[in-house]
Amino acid sequence: MNLDCLHLLPRRVYATRTDESNGDVALTLSDAEVVLDARGYAVWQKVVERLAAGQPCRALPALLDRPAGEVSQALARFHEAGLLVEASDVPVSGSHFHEHEFAPVLPAWLNKAFSHPFWDRMTSGRGSKRLYAGWLVELYHYTRNANRHMPLAAAHCRNKPVKTLLAKHYEEEWNHYHFFSRAAAAMDIDPVLVRESEPLPMTMAMSDFMRQAARTDVMCYAICSAVLEGTTTDSAAFNPFYEKVRELYGVPEAAVTPIYEHLELDGKYQHADLFKEICSHEPAIGARRAAMVLDFGHQMVEHIWLWTDAIERYYADDTQPLPRPRFDAALD
Amino acid sequence: MSQLRLQEIRLKRSAQLSFSGEEAIVNHLGYEYRFSAPAAGVLRKMHGWLQRGADAADIAAAIGEPAAVVEQLALALKNHGALSLRQPGEDEAPMDGVAFYDYHRRYAEHWLQPVYEHPFWNKVVEGRASRAQVLGFAFEKYHYIEAAHEHMGIAAANARPELARHLARHFIEEYRHGDIYRRGLHSVFTDEVVLAAPPLPSTRALVNFLNEAAATDSFGYYAANEVLQMTENCDDDTGADDAVSAFYDGMRRHYPYTDKLIESFIVHTRLDQSLGHENVFAQMCRDMPPLAAADVDKVMNLTRGVAERLLGFVDGIDRFYEAFPQMPRLVHGLGAA
Repeated sequence: MNLDCLHLLPRRVYATRTDESNGDVALTLSDAEVVLDARGYAVWQKVVERLAAGQPCRALPALLDRPAGEVSQALARFHEAGLLVEASDVPVSGSHFHEHEFAPVLPAWLNKAFSHPFWDRMTSGRGSKRLYAGWLVELYHYTRNANRHMPLAAAHCRNKPVKTLLAKHYEEEWNHYHFFSRAAAAMDIDPVLVRESEPLPMTMAMSDFMRQAARTDVMCYAICSAVLEGTTTDSAAFNPFYEKVRELYGVPEAAVTPIYEHLELDGKYQHADLFKEICSHEPAIGARRAAMVLDFGHQMVEHIWLWTDAIERYYADDTQPLPRPRFDAALD
Repeated sequence: MSQLRLQEIRLKRSAQLSFSGEEAIVNHLGYEYRFSAPAAGVLRKMHGWLQRGADAADIAAAIGEPAAVVEQLALALKNHGALSLRQPGEDEAPMDGVAFYDYHRRYAEHWLQPVYEHPFWNKVVEGRASRAQVLGFAFEKYHYIEAAHEHMGIAAANARPELARHLARHFIEEYRHGDIYRRGLHSVFTDEVVLAAPPLPSTRALVNFLNEAAATDSFGYYAANEVLQMTENCDDDTGADDAVSAFYDGMRRHYPYTDKLIESFIVHTRLDQSLGHENVFAQMCRDMPPLAAADVDKVMNLTRGVAERLLGFVDGIDRFYEAFPQMPRLVHGLGAA
């Protein structure tokens, strides 16, 4: 590889796993797993940080204090293994962005979002009816909080067709929290108490982040929305969860049916395709903006993981109120 | 006494009533109140009623004790802040600013306890934290302090007129502080990496919560911000300074590469302490007109919310960097996601 004319970028590594027997490190990418020996991994770590800092490849030999030939060989190996890609400053169309940047990584993102042990716990009998009830209450708030971010996104959008799409999405979604209120009621949770309750901080953080995205760039907002919609499209993934919680914890059918109704309605509205449509109205996305948009999408993935973590830890504690009341000086 | 006819007597949700031998023990916001016999015996009989809430006369009739005794005990618990009740003709009186300051501080100190007791601190002191967790702590602190540009700026721009001076001063005095942490991180990472690294969602949750409050409720925002100030301005008599020193000593011993980072933490703490911000909220409360009960609830909800998010901030560093130890956190562009 000729270092003078190379501009390489490190791929996102979703997980690393070290083999204690030989020191090999497996790096999980969105579409592959790459195994490096301990020495190769040490070099990789040094290379990543410098390339991510915007250093050109030709600067690496001096920065790493290694001969140019050795660095060139290492970069060629990383590139061949898929750990490095050639950077591009050429703007891409929104449709290209959706097809070649977003759609290919979405499965890896959703895997990460749902890698939390909560899901395994719930489907293996180590969960509880209370955990399901708590999850419903937080889903109620999360869905109701669409009213905090969807209209805000429309208000901040300056692209007419996209603005209309966002407003229509809001029109179709704004009152969907009633599905979760009904499901919670079937678990003997008073709808008034649910309405008046205080969501967990991470539930609010989801909608606060959506509000931040809405104020930043409509594409940042739309990609977060697409990640969230992506969690509702694969019935093969979520149906077994609901069937299991019914079977394992005696959750009544009426506490699950409204969820299916909601998913069906979302499917009917084709909300999962909204991002693709929004992208089609973006003629050109520069490299910096694309990186920012992808980063918002990935941060939403991380929000989902920590949200799940918060739900599990709060509702697993039987001493915590369900639903959570707001502060009231008379009672607190 | 029996003519008071106390209504809706209820143990506060923040209080716990327990019994040990002949004693009744009430815990409220970290304080303990003990009642000996015969009061403890009456409280034992009242326990279930206090949790459900009932009128004094109904409780007295049900447990076979004089109403005057029930009311006397109820008033004693109320004086300790552990019981809520209504008296005939009582309106929810506004709370003056000075009383609110004390009330806020008492609850905030209580809500901060889980932050101070979080297992993450000992993990670092004992060398059990991973490199990602230790460096993650430095990164997240940087993001949190750097976010003064967001929430303090928003607060200054949306300030109520009578609070504008305080909020302007606060922003002006604090906006450079993120650079102290940024320089500390330069000892480990390049500036480009530090500037581009995204915060954890739990750090974003704290910052965005402050941003939202800052835009809509100047006093509530500052009351929430005061909780954060309380963690920076250590009082000598609480032992907090010792705990912070022990934390840095442990960090330096087990993670020698963090030496410059620790220097930046200490520089920032000293700078914050020198600014005299610890008195600003007290002044602000003195200047405020009395707060209606609904406003007290609203501000206290924000106060509790920020303490919870601060706990989430520490928790996120501990748990997220354990599950996803990639360090530093990077932004990935076209073809690299």
